[in-house]
Amino acid sequence: MQKSTHGFKLPGVIAGMLFLIFTGFGMSVSAQVRTITGTVTASDTKETLPGATVSLKGTALGVVTDIDGKYSIKVSQGKGVLVIAYVGYTTQEIEIGDKSLVDVMLVFKKTTLDEVVVIGYGTVRKSDLSGSVGSVKSEDIVKITALNPVQSLQGIVAGVQVTSTSGDPGSSPVVRIRGVGTFNNSSPIYVVDGIIMDDISFLNSGDITSMEVLKDASSTAIYGSRGANGVIMVTTKQGKVGQDKTAYSFTGEVGMQNLAKKIDLLNGHDFAMISNEIKPGSYNNIDAVPNTDWQKLIFHTAPIYNFQLSASGATKKMQFYISGGYFKQEGIIEKSKYERITLQLNNTYIMSPYVKLGNNITFSPYSQRVSPDVTYNAYRASPTLTPYYSNGSFASIPGIGNPLADLAYSNNFNKGVKGVGNMYAEISFLKSFTVKSSFGVDAEYNQSQNFTPAFTVYNADGTISQQQHPLSTLSKGSSEFLTWLWENTVSYKKDIQKHSINAVVGYTMQNTSSAAMGMMGSNILRDDANFWYIRPNNIYDPPNNVNNINSIYDNVDAGMNYSMISYLFRVNYVFNKKYILTGTFRSDGSSKFSESNRYANFPSFAVAWNVSQESFMKSLTAISKLKIRGSWGKLGNDKIAYNRRYAQVESGIITIFGTGTPNSGASYGLNGNPNLKWEVTTQTDLGLEVGMFNDRLTGEFDFYNKQTDEILIDLATPGYYGNGPGQKVTYNAASVLNRGFEFNLGWRDKVGKLNYHVSVNGTTIHNEVLKIGGSSGVDSVLIGGYLGNGIPVTRSKVGLPIGSFYGYQTNGIFQTQAELNAYPHTSLAGVGDLRFVDVNGDGKIDDRDRTNIGSPIPTFIFGCNFGVEFKGFDVSCNIQGQAGNKIFNAKQVVRPDPYNFEASVLNRWTGPGTSTTEPRASFGGYNYTVSDHFIQDGSFLRIRNVILGYTLPVNVCKKIAMQTIRVYVKADNLYTLTKYTGYTPEIASGDVISNGIDSGIYPITAVFSFGVNLNF
Amino acid sequence: MKTYTKIFFTLPVIFLLLVTPGCSKFLQKDLQSELTQQSFPTTAADALLATNASYEILRDWYYNSGGYPILDIMSDDARKGSNPDDQLNTVGPFDSFTFSSTQDGLDRWWNTLYVGVKRANVVIEFVPGVTMDPALRNRYVAEAKFIRGLLYFDFVRAWGGVPLVTTVNPPAHLTRATKEEVYALIFSDLQFAADNLPLRSEYTAANRGRATKGAAQALLARVYLFLKDYVNAEKYALDVINSNQYGLEPVYADANGVNGNNGIESVLEVGAIQVEGTEGGGAQYGNVQGVRGTPNRGWGFNRPSVDLRNSFETGDVRYKGTVINLGDTLDGVLIVGDGPTPDVTTDTHGNVIEVECYNRKVWVPGDNTTTQWAYHRRLIRYADVLLMASEALNENNKAGDALVYLNMVRARARGANAGVLPNITTTVKTELSDKISTERRHELGMEGWRFWDLIRTGKAGAVLGPLGFVVGKHELLPIPQSEIDISQGTLTQNPNW
Repeated sequence: MQKSTHGFKLPGVIAGMLFLIFTGFGMSVSAQVRTITGTVTASDTKETLPGATVSLKGTALGVVTDIDGKYSIKVSQGKGVLVIAYVGYTTQEIEIGDKSLVDVMLVFKKTTLDEVVVIGYGTVRKSDLSGSVGSVKSEDIVKITALNPVQSLQGIVAGVQVTSTSGDPGSSPVVRIRGVGTFNNSSPIYVVDGIIMDDISFLNSGDITSMEVLKDASSTAIYGSRGANGVIMVTTKQGKVGQDKTAYSFTGEVGMQNLAKKIDLLNGHDFAMISNEIKPGSYNNIDAVPNTDWQKLIFHTAPIYNFQLSASGATKKMQFYISGGYFKQEGIIEKSKYERITLQLNNTYIMSPYVKLGNNITFSPYSQRVSPDVTYNAYRASPTLTPYYSNGSFASIPGIGNPLADLAYSNNFNKGVKGVGNMYAEISFLKSFTVKSSFGVDAEYNQSQNFTPAFTVYNADGTISQQQHPLSTLSKGSSEFLTWLWENTVSYKKDIQKHSINAVVGYTMQNTSSAAMGMMGSNILRDDANFWYIRPNNIYDPPNNVNNINSIYDNVDAGMNYSMISYLFRVNYVFNKKYILTGTFRSDGSSKFSESNRYANFPSFAVAWNVSQESFMKSLTAISKLKIRGSWGKLGNDKIAYNRRYAQVESGIITIFGTGTPNSGASYGLNGNPNLKWEVTTQTDLGLEVGMFNDRLTGEFDFYNKQTDEILIDLATPGYYGNGPGQKVTYNAASVLNRGFEFNLGWRDKVGKLNYHVSVNGTTIHNEVLKIGGSSGVDSVLIGGYLGNGIPVTRSKVGLPIGSFYGYQTNGIFQTQAELNAYPHTSLAGVGDLRFVDVNGDGKIDDRDRTNIGSPIPTFIFGCNFGVEFKGFDVSCNIQGQAGNKIFNAKQVVRPDPYNFEASVLNRWTGPGTSTTEPRASFGGYNYTVSDHFIQDGSFLRIRNVILGYTLPVNVCKKIAMQTIRVYVKADNLYTLTKYTGYTPEIASGDVISNGIDSGIYPITAVFSFGVNLNF
Repeated sequence: MKTYTKIFFTLPVIFLLLVTPGCSKFLQKDLQSELTQQSFPTTAADALLATNASYEILRDWYYNSGGYPILDIMSDDARKGSNPDDQLNTVGPFDSFTFSSTQDGLDRWWNTLYVGVKRANVVIEFVPGVTMDPALRNRYVAEAKFIRGLLYFDFVRAWGGVPLVTTVNPPAHLTRATKEEVYALIFSDLQFAADNLPLRSEYTAANRGRATKGAAQALLARVYLFLKDYVNAEKYALDVINSNQYGLEPVYADANGVNGNNGIESVLEVGAIQVEGTEGGGAQYGNVQGVRGTPNRGWGFNRPSVDLRNSFETGDVRYKGTVINLGDTLDGVLIVGDGPTPDVTTDTHGNVIEVECYNRKVWVPGDNTTTQWAYHRRLIRYADVLLMASEALNENNKAGDALVYLNMVRARARGANAGVLPNITTTVKTELSDKISTERRHELGMEGWRFWDLIRTGKAGAVLGPLGFVVGKHELLPIPQSEIDISQGTLTQNPNW
């Protein structure tokens, strides 16, 4: 019978279910059976333990204790051993003998010391870890309904800031670990089952068993030149050794997304009133104007679906995990959508006790539809204009364009497939050594097409408005990306009496190449999708009445490649479980740098002391765990464009000779910098881990100091280099400091039958630019955050956080002419306008008075999680937030035309004493100069996620041949407490010097969903 | 089991042995689909590409004084133009001489001129090493030297001494060369060009627009005139005249118009085609000055001043050839003008200080907004050469000869009406000098030379003083503050800025 329990051999879930019914639960068919009953209790609380598993050793027989901790299991006559297990307690085995009543008290595991943590190129016992690593397990990863699993880290792991900036289906959040360490790409790397990559949005959360965030130098140094921004290790699921019975799992979730918050804009009446104030006579009767709520017109409720079915198990020869998932998110703006299928296949083949082969393969086709950017248009469109004329055609919205017309004529699609997989062989020899060779591939192919038909939106008087597209256009693009990574390691693991050594040495090679092609055609023969092909005979050129190849243009055909070779080494030495020493070294060579600067070395060292293992601590029974650790190391960041060192030739320069003949030209373009080298981040970490009262209270505290030097930044060069106006060259010429304190405190206990846990985590960030430019004969400030009108709003300067906002400070409103006359002002300022501060005190207001007006980087980020379980019900809640950052509300600033206003304009200055903060109303000009008037507090506290679940009683499940059935309802982004007036205070940008600027975003949504989880 | 062990243990070892020696090669990745400077220019085709690219900078919008600062707006011939608010803070200060070293535009002009210098240096430095037809190779180098000389003359006129870059990869921390050093390079470059470039007639029609011997000589005359070296100015201007390569367009409007593109009067001209955008071959110079409103041909900057309008002699065809008034019909198009721009602006005393009108010189016939992008800017016209010759001859006490060339220009300006613009006859040096100066204003109005003429003749203080010009300061522009900042003080500012 044991042999026939390899459920995976039977195809299909139904078969599996049937199989279970007949084998697992169908014991009544056996002849000689008797029933063993008993109660399982916990050693620490003396309470009964519902949900503990009781199984007969060596068989697939198993039951789960009921609400009162009682169980009843039917076993065959004869000898047998019961195995009783419960998470957090030591598993017990009890000889049945001839007993029919077996009560068990499970011993609470004093500490979680034996938890295994995934680190680069290996695993380590949590107790032997000397670095700072945050870990999230599968049950928390699936809590958030989101495309990208990384969103589950939000508010959970200290030191990690995940900003979900957009509700656009398919968009990925911005992730920062321990602040912003560079002016370049500051995103962490992801290591999915050993393969290094930049994004994990292709993964299904349900396929992940754990995510580990490597934060300090000791843990990330093994990734050397890629470790500076932190590393997120992702491990996908695998069948467990000894899990003879195939476990099937199904999760289905359906949710509705709504606009979480509307922006408070003026209605038609108020807009007409303000307009009349600015330009008298604009509206004759402000009570009779239309009132169009543009937000209501573009936002809808939209569904989100997530389904996943998986099977996992093991035999003596192999472990397997196989799953299929489907995710679909429609956008709350029409014509946006993301759909993804995920197929996961993880196998380990045990060829012999010494040889293992394995594979982890993810295959993920996706398709996306992207809506045009209409939120900003809806924000600006006048509420006194109607979307349609009486004849049903689109009305023109001067200066903006009708957002509904933009939507109607949009056909922007892209689709692709991503495949990530590796195969490996692992050989153990001489007992302590393991050789592993792994070859992995990360490949993606993407195809995009964007078709806009010819259309015209007419003005009310019948003339053609600016919103028109005289000829239909079709642009198509395709891109391919392939990375292969070959990693070879030898590891050594040995315990000799009190000495424990764990070492790994390795050699890796990686090659990345990609290519992209794109072209555009206009005047496509037909509007329907069957003709969305760019070929000369589909393109019609009416002026010449011929098909014309010249209507195909904007061709792009580009490629890039880079490669890397690395040597790595790490040794972890533990003496007597008390003293831990870790040394790590990686040497990376990259084709992105010229030969002399190609290789760089990244060392790190760490020590830790398990104080609680000392004999003098034994008497302090309240303290179950106490560890002090410290680490230091150097890391790199190779996320720079592959071609920065090259001096390029600018081709395609056209000179006109004769009567108008274009002649091709080419000459030296931007200078390169062949002296480019790696950025170097030096990080120091001091940590303390505590467990008290049998680890009911746990705490982890870390101080980090992370300084990045030699940062690659683009700087303006002297004009005589001939690079041209506004052009910049990359130099290793900046330094940035991130320093802070992280904590994570948890309390887990039970009151009667109620289990509960609470945890809070927080991180402080001190971000400071230490150097820009230096003596390289180039600029010393870095300007960024360019608005739609070309005006920059950030300036990164020494002594300030990266990307600090830069503009005028205001100190009130000019109340009277006398006040205006007495105070420095520009010729444009009038009574009722903002007063700018004369910062340099020279008695006049000009560009030189612009100053730092706030930082987009929060000084504190925090999360709070709690959960309660009681009689099958479970409730959990995740709250997260940040404080100390500012947002620049750029939506308000760029306005050359009479656009709608936010409701704050109703508090405007209308005469002396009426307002000291809101200037008189105007449609543009002086008051819209970049100033702190548009800076808002970005602090917020968000109820990110609330889940209420119910697990059906075991006996009910049993009746329908299920192991567990859990149904749940949940709400994501339920409530946000913030002073910010935009859709969401989570405003971030991948570009660190254009961060925290709200120029109109696709709003994030509140999601209410219902789900069911079946295990059988 | 043993077999597996052998295979899996030995395989990585074999690979390691195979791969390690190839490491340095594995990490050598060449740039895809783009030329790098190591491999260019190396062929005859490259040499032509590099030479062509050197000319392109003259069509760049920022080549025209970085966009806005000079043109004629800084002279008494023109106002900012456009509607009163447009670019008030960026172009306005040049109209009123209230700009400073941080003024928008100055840095763009400075930077763009150096882009041109770099492109010329690519040819001058590398083309001599290319294996190709030596005569053609020599011509390419001469063309590049001509352009470099032209650009440095722009530099020295505007800023005085500037960092002198004569190689593609200049050292860091360059300081300003003296004015004399800059002029020395200009003379050497232009002399080489004059000695090595073909005559206009030696180019095929398709190559018109390339630098010629005549262009180099004419430019030398302009430089010498600026330095008040009348002997050399006379020599080079007469060289051009006596080459018999050039003449005056019979119709004045054609001297800048489409019909005269690369025509007989064109000594140096910047070609353009009707494409919106510099990259595609268009020239924004004509677009920003084009008629604003109806017809919508551009932005309407650089507006002829009331003073210029009133200064023309009766019957001078050049008035209509310089100013487009509202109500005019050009090439069948009625000029209505711009709504928000007042037709007439008066001061508090009721004096007319501005009239809505546009620069006729850049007008391009056509039927849409893109039309103006096809304007070919004339950098040297034969009429200018005649007037330079006239001025130099008069200064060299050859008034009789001076009158010949001066009256040639006036004769064309009469058009069909023989009764107007009588020949100038005075041989009194100072009187004739004033007449020539006035003639230059009318002949070359709105073409961007008036400000420099006022500077070189020392009249700027008197003429532009009322507009805000400060003697001892505004003869030179301020070095862009951004350049001084980047140089960390290595570059020094001009006096009184």
